[in-house]
Amino acid sequence: MQSGRGRPRPRARFLAHRGARVGVALVAAVVLFALVGPMLASHSPLASDFVRGIGDDQMPVGPSRHFLLGADRLFRDELARLAEGARLSLFIALSSTAVATTVGGVVGVLSGYYAGTWVDALLMRIVDVGLAFPFLLLVLAIGAALDETSAWTILAVLGLTGWLGTARVVRAKTMQVKALDFVAASRALGQSTWAILLRHIVPNVAGPLLVLATMSVAQMIVAESVLSYLGVGIAPPTPTWGHMLFEGQDYYASAPWLLLAPGTAIVVAVLGFNLVGEGLRDALDPRAL
Amino acid sequence: MRSIRARSKVTAAMHTSRVAVALALTCAVGTVALAPGCREPLAAPIAAASPGDALPRSGGTVHFASFADVRSLDPAVASEAFGGSLIAQMYAGLVEYDFDGSVVPDLAERFELSPDGRAYTFHLREGARFHDGDEVTADDVKRSIERALHPSTPNPFASFCENIEGYAAYAGGKADALSGVVVGGRYVVTIRLETPDATFLPILAQYALRPVCKSAGARFEATWAPCGAGPLKLLPGGWERGRSLTLVRHDGYFRAGLPRIDSVTFAFQMPIATQRFKFEQGELDAVKDLNQSDFVQFTSDPRWKAYGEFDAEKEIWGESMNVEHAPFDNIEIRRAVAAAIDRSKYRKLKAGLLHEANQVIPRDVPLYDPNFKGQEESYEAALAHMANAGYAYDPISKKGGYPGVIPYYTYPQSYPEYSGQVLQQQLATIGLRIELRLVSYPAYLALTRRRGRVAISPQGWQADYPDPSDFFEALFHSKSIADEDSNNTSFYKNAKVDDVLDRAHGELETATRARLYGEANRIICDDAPWAFAYASRRYEVHHPYLRGYRTHPVWAYFLRDAWLDRTPVKALAALGLLGAPTAPLGGLR
Repeated sequence: MQSGRGRPRPRARFLAHRGARVGVALVAAVVLFALVGPMLASHSPLASDFVRGIGDDQMPVGPSRHFLLGADRLFRDELARLAEGARLSLFIALSSTAVATTVGGVVGVLSGYYAGTWVDALLMRIVDVGLAFPFLLLVLAIGAALDETSAWTILAVLGLTGWLGTARVVRAKTMQVKALDFVAASRALGQSTWAILLRHIVPNVAGPLLVLATMSVAQMIVAESVLSYLGVGIAPPTPTWGHMLFEGQDYYASAPWLLLAPGTAIVVAVLGFNLVGEGLRDALDPRAL
Repeated sequence: MRSIRARSKVTAAMHTSRVAVALALTCAVGTVALAPGCREPLAAPIAAASPGDALPRSGGTVHFASFADVRSLDPAVASEAFGGSLIAQMYAGLVEYDFDGSVVPDLAERFELSPDGRAYTFHLREGARFHDGDEVTADDVKRSIERALHPSTPNPFASFCENIEGYAAYAGGKADALSGVVVGGRYVVTIRLETPDATFLPILAQYALRPVCKSAGARFEATWAPCGAGPLKLLPGGWERGRSLTLVRHDGYFRAGLPRIDSVTFAFQMPIATQRFKFEQGELDAVKDLNQSDFVQFTSDPRWKAYGEFDAEKEIWGESMNVEHAPFDNIEIRRAVAAAIDRSKYRKLKAGLLHEANQVIPRDVPLYDPNFKGQEESYEAALAHMANAGYAYDPISKKGGYPGVIPYYTYPQSYPEYSGQVLQQQLATIGLRIELRLVSYPAYLALTRRRGRVAISPQGWQADYPDPSDFFEALFHSKSIADEDSNNTSFYKNAKVDDVLDRAHGELETATRARLYGEANRIICDDAPWAFAYASRRYEVHHPYLRGYRTHPVWAYFLRDAWLDRTPVKALAALGLLGAPTAPLGGLR
């Protein structure tokens, strides 16, 4: 299409991206649900209702005026738990992404800038080892060593295992930027390494980093759900989407809403962040146009 | 060059995310599409081929499956309940449990007890054969018992046999033979005990001491090929570890005409949902690993109701409180917990498969007293006990109570994970705050059975043999306390209880035993080392064509009398009565 001065700016391109708009809407819906959902539910997410939560067949009651999304296997309000789970999922996903992006960005920039030196070799070997290690095994080992898992330990585990891929991509981008003429020019003008890194390299790798971070949020939501589903996540009764999915699976025949509710929540959130990420990528990619 | 590589990595990441999106969408659509399908009613039971009064026929293969796996088929070292049930089909014992739980002669034709109550003499059937064709003699009985109790054999059951005369010397390696087992002729063997013992016969009927073929040798070897004198035998290659076990009819079995089936196949580690679908398709003949939802479907469907049966209720669960660990070193706190629990809530989480329990033994264990009230629920009493303990709690202002948060150790993806959350809600109403700590099952076992480690945890006990002594002594006798791997997980020690239990153990008169266990039950319920919570049982459904098959009070499977009365599968498929043909029938459509 167009090139040079005439092409739209990234923000305009992002807003024109259909997928991105859908993504933003989905993410906004999830965030809104996390914020106001707990107020919509008339029950505590932790309290079992052994009177109104049980149906005639002794099973959890289905969606009704009283429990909008039905009751779970402990006769608690599924809606209240879903909303509480949204808060937790978003909190963990965003925080662990912040950790992963920061660590991955710093490591990637340093490694890329000092490519070929011992700094690069050391950092990249750490990344190699980390990427070679089975993620779930690592999480299980950390969980076993800590004796208990809280939101903070999950966050730390996800953050500290999630930066490896980011570091690789940022390193490559840094090497690319470093080879460009304006970097050589500023070095020739006698600018310090820090100044070059902060003024020239970081702004130029920020785009890919932002894309990776957005996608990472989606991956972290899935990772947290997987851990909770496997029973190595946050201890009950705290509701998490992954664990709600696990709790519901025995009831797929008699109470399918217990699978549908958390399943849909996970899909919507992951889809939303992924679409936003794709929109950002297209908007920030100079070759896309 | 470099920039291209960088670019390709970014795109690779993007592609991965596109795949993820596609997967997510597929999952969402799949979930929505599947859900209504799952709500369809159960398939119909597959009817028997011949009328109700038909004479039993021989032949056919029975198919079972289990969520569990089997680690050993050697009676001397096996420890799991599921594996034990299979072992019991492969090895006949001197005595066996009858369907009412009583002990009756089996390989022995008859037995008698000496007047002093210390010696049992067994008269073996003549002509009973092992799977290898050898006749079962008194020497085999003695050799098998000595093998099972040999000091080098890791027999988890050995401690139950300590009362056999000469056991200490033999197990300690000081004697070459077990002096209490005396051969009195080719078909006569006497077992002498140190003291009269009401638990001896129920323990002997368990699988651990059952006769094994001469190939087993004098001590346990892991490489031995299982061989006994039971109705079903294992052929070479019949056991694929972790996958399946096939047992075939032992033609030399001493009960003429039995077993009726040609063979039986057990599939191991099969997910519960898979079992249910295979059962509905007729690929499994019976299923007992049912989840709550399946259970409700099968029991509420009139077509299936006649073909389901409950197991005996022989497993007790409670909240075990460590009497050496704060705050449960305070008896009033323990009593508060025992009084605060609304046991009907545990039942409602798994309606039909659980009963409220408020005493030491479950209701299908001998000497259970239905009139004994045990630990009773009373919210007022629980609050009063908290006040007595010095931690008065005001439910209106929610002030007071025990100040700390008490970790509650349990394991994930299990019923105790859910019951623990109910307990948490209930204890909060009397001012006790617990916090669930989910650890792996092995870690749960190690931690909760270690002295001084865990304050409170859910604990269950399943009968090793059908007698109250098994529950009382394992859980509450001070001799069951150990620093590691302690069966007495509350580390409860009461000299009076020890004395009553020891007397009951040696008492052969049933009424006196019942009185003694009643006394121990009262003291333990009041001291509350456990807040007894629920007793569980299982439900098994089978197709109508599997006949002569009943649930057994001890063994999970009892196939001696079962027979198959099924229209050949090919005929059913031709009539269109089977759904989609499975792999072996693939060409028939």
